[in-house]
Amino acid sequence: MKSRTGVCIVVGASSGIGAALARRLCLEGRKVALLARRPAELKAISTSIDDALGTKSAFPYAHDAADLESAESLFARIEAELGEVDELHYVAGVMPEVAIDEFDLGKDVAQVQVNALGCIAWCNAAARRFLSRKRGCIVGVSSVAQDRGRCGRPGYNASKAAMDTFLEGLRNRLWRHGVQVTTIRPGFVETPMTRGLVLKGSISADRAAGLILRARDRRRSIVYVPGKWRLIMFVIRNIPSVVFRRLSI
Amino acid sequence: MAPSWNQELVRGWGMAVGGAAGVLRPTTREQVADAFADVQSRGGSIALRGSGCSYGDAAISSRGHVLDLSRMNKILAFDPIAGIARCEPGVTIRDLWRMAISFGFWPKVVPGTMAVSIGGAAAMNIHGKNNFAVGSFGECVRRFTLLLPNGSVVECSRDQNEDLFFAAISGFGMLGCFLELEIELKRVHSGRLRVGAVVCNSLTENLEAIERLQGEADYLVSWIDFHAKGAQLGRGILHRADQLEPGEDPQGVRYFDPCMQDVPTTLFGVVPKGWLWPFMWGAVKLGQVGLVNALKFAVGPREQRQSPYLQSHGAFHFLLDYVPRWQWMTKPGGLIQFQPFVPAAQAERVFRLLTETCQREGMVPYLGVLKRHRPDPFLMTHAVDGFSMAMDFAVSKRKQQREALWSMCRRMADLVLDAGGRFYYAKDAVLEQPSFERVHGAEVAQRFLALKNRCDPHCILQTDLSRRLLG
Repeated sequence: MKSRTGVCIVVGASSGIGAALARRLCLEGRKVALLARRPAELKAISTSIDDALGTKSAFPYAHDAADLESAESLFARIEAELGEVDELHYVAGVMPEVAIDEFDLGKDVAQVQVNALGCIAWCNAAARRFLSRKRGCIVGVSSVAQDRGRCGRPGYNASKAAMDTFLEGLRNRLWRHGVQVTTIRPGFVETPMTRGLVLKGSISADRAAGLILRARDRRRSIVYVPGKWRLIMFVIRNIPSVVFRRLSI
Repeated sequence: MAPSWNQELVRGWGMAVGGAAGVLRPTTREQVADAFADVQSRGGSIALRGSGCSYGDAAISSRGHVLDLSRMNKILAFDPIAGIARCEPGVTIRDLWRMAISFGFWPKVVPGTMAVSIGGAAAMNIHGKNNFAVGSFGECVRRFTLLLPNGSVVECSRDQNEDLFFAAISGFGMLGCFLELEIELKRVHSGRLRVGAVVCNSLTENLEAIERLQGEADYLVSWIDFHAKGAQLGRGILHRADQLEPGEDPQGVRYFDPCMQDVPTTLFGVVPKGWLWPFMWGAVKLGQVGLVNALKFAVGPREQRQSPYLQSHGAFHFLLDYVPRWQWMTKPGGLIQFQPFVPAAQAERVFRLLTETCQREGMVPYLGVLKRHRPDPFLMTHAVDGFSMAMDFAVSKRKQQREALWSMCRRMADLVLDAGGRFYYAKDAVLEQPSFERVHGAEVAQRFLALKNRCDPHCILQTDLSRRLLG
């Protein structure tokens, strides 16, 4: 594994997997730009990391992932302030409560905006630079939810599927130039996003972050977190549509 | 529309006391006010209940009404920079730390179980293993909103309605219902604590070790083996824990993930801990608690050699959550806890006497815990500049044995009160009316009763505990 020394960007770092990833990256001795919408929470997370490590390694940048236009300029600002970025983790995601008989365009647009378009904006900003430098790593946290369209969350499934397919295309475009693109499909992880849901066999955000960084180090393309979800989703993907529509999953 | 009260069996956490009561679980402050008005119009009484973690009868009202506040459980606001949370009363300590630890904050005072509600914690003015250093839970409450039984809403803080502020905290739910509380949390520099064990071969050693370490340790708690006799009476294992400084434990940053704070749910990674209580029940029923204690004491030196070690805040603090439903080991009679607070100068003599009394009468507590305390400014405080010794007794279903236990505890209470000691109403199940003035002093007791009369002239706030103590 090539040693990683550059600056990391974590988009969606104020809670859950994003915060856990930021903590682990700082623990690796990296300078990490933490991006999230809520400035107070972001500042508090950064302070707690710096405090625990006794060094300045977490740098908060308030940013709304739905603000697509500012991704490019913020990327440039981070590089100007912290140094060359060689790793991007896109973890931002929203999953609003949607009732089974609710068809709310606003909620669906918000999901596409943050989960899919935000990822595309940040990956484009990273890919352009990484391609010219012939190195760099992009990690996108998609979801097992992208594998099938389910009756409970069509908007969420579609937005994650769009993100996932975009990452695959990017991987195919960049691999020949030495740039790594890893897609992560987490299963049940205990985060604020999944609070209130009964998730049997869920893992901690810290464990998920550990598995994500292991996938990055092994230069994997698509990784289910934890690994058992590869088998579970293999089965679910292969359920015929006429049967799947009758199931409550 | 009049609130609809469901008849339910409501018991103390120790399962030894309780009875049927009409229960209502409000979700809004308007519903609480409606419940007060409804009960007042019918000339009844109402008991306030949070998570129901009081061991005895502090949150129950046999044949009365119980207002269960556990569904008023929203954290209304949290300032992650200053570490200040505004909560409804049914928010639990668990809800609070799970939200705060991500930002590097931890409640200043936590009890042995995270199930306790914030409202209950303030009403009983609970303490933690750091009572000697930071005081009681009330000391981290900045302000609160109190609904009085007459329907008026009062804002209380150290500068506003301060008489109510210092009396409602510690006032065991007798003055009004907390609607919102503002709690101050503390910054932690790691998700872990440095923990060390010290084996103490006698009560004297145990108390001396606590006294010696209280100037330097952040948390101190000592387990006591009540079955040890003679020179080893009062032996136990003292645990100290210290907060870590910035940069001292870089790996501790990972423990800011709330899941990393949870107590382990399995034994050796396989056996679910929820399965353990029947084995503990067997040890109690077969009279083998002495053997279990001896084994626990025997592994103490090993732990001492391996000290210090790093442990998450949750794993260190929430010992009562290690084995789910562990109190079921005392089924069918349940348990009571007798926890005297005794001034430091008298502690050794009184604790020795109490232990000998239990051993002589053949009712030995299966668990004992020793802690150091300091006084606090709250009106109905249980704290003294001294020590507390918690004694957990399994209660028999047989009336004669039950009465013998109550009688022994009352005799022990006299010993404690003669020595200037106090009691803690979250734990108490045995004190009687004359003890109330002896615990707090006549002047303080009168001040409290006058406040009670002012806030609740029709005396609608009553619990089995208040009827026992206040008459």
